[in-house]
Amino acid sequence: MPKHSSSKKALMINEVCELIPHGVLQGICLESIDGEELTLRLPYRDELVGNPETGTIHSGALTVLLDQTLSTAGICHDSLGPALIPTLDLRIDHLGTAPPGKDIFAVARVYKVTRRVLFVEGFAYCESREKPIARATGSWLLIPKLEFDEIAPIDQAGAQQQ
Amino acid sequence: MTLSELILHEPNADSLQLWLKKVPYAAYLGIKAEVHGNEILFILPKDKKIIGNPVLPAIHGGVVGAFMEQAAIFHLIAKMDDPSVPKIINFSLDYLRPARLRNTYAQCTLSRQGRLIANISINAWQEQSDKPNAIARAHFLIPDSN
Repeated sequence: MPKHSSSKKALMINEVCELIPHGVLQGICLESIDGEELTLRLPYRDELVGNPETGTIHSGALTVLLDQTLSTAGICHDSLGPALIPTLDLRIDHLGTAPPGKDIFAVARVYKVTRRVLFVEGFAYCESREKPIARATGSWLLIPKLEFDEIAPIDQAGAQQQ
Repeated sequence: MTLSELILHEPNADSLQLWLKKVPYAAYLGIKAEVHGNEILFILPKDKKIIGNPVLPAIHGGVVGAFMEQAAIFHLIAKMDDPSVPKIINFSLDYLRPARLRNTYAQCTLSRQGRLIANISINAWQEQSDKPNAIARAHFLIPDSN
């Protein structure tokens, strides 16, 4: 049985999103939760355009969305207690381009948790989940909150997912 | 002038600034470039709007990645004999230290440029270039010139 009910998990994901000032400015928000899998939405804005001639979104804006979605899937994973999870690495394959003017969605799930490392995968899509525009995989170091408090001063205690 | 037209001009500090202004997302992040001899230095100015972790405070890791991607794209264009806008294939990013709320710098190395593919590595740092906050690699597809 999952530790968090869906609505409790939604609250937790919303809280995490609200703690990330740049994500809030981008309007990144929870779209849906399906078991261990979560989907965040990045609303389209003209400022996100990477190629002014085609109007497609900058690959970097996708990096921001995927980084945040995979991190959020990590920090909100059912098996974790309070923890800090600095990102180790992120790899993105660009499979296509987003049509101009559309919101982007990113889906992520944790596929393996070891004592020290969370392995997370995800993808981004625009119009249909069946047509991903990017695929991502990454790993996050797992530092239980208690342990972190022992080794670091209190004012460092937010060194988490970003 | 369109970006495709602008990149045909000699890459120097002024033209790089014009390229960056043409890309809405690069302009939004406030990315700047300086030319030092043969080297191009890209700068992501410290700005509250890119904070990811308000406690440290630290820059959003995704923004550091986005900045490095943009640096790689323009570094590649600047080094092309026949400039065109390349398409990113993939991007692999290692985070070594959290990026604090201060200016971030990036420099790129064109590891290989073939007819179709370019491989670029990117180093991003804040205090010292030999203590990177993040390192990355990217592959780009070079559009057919004909």
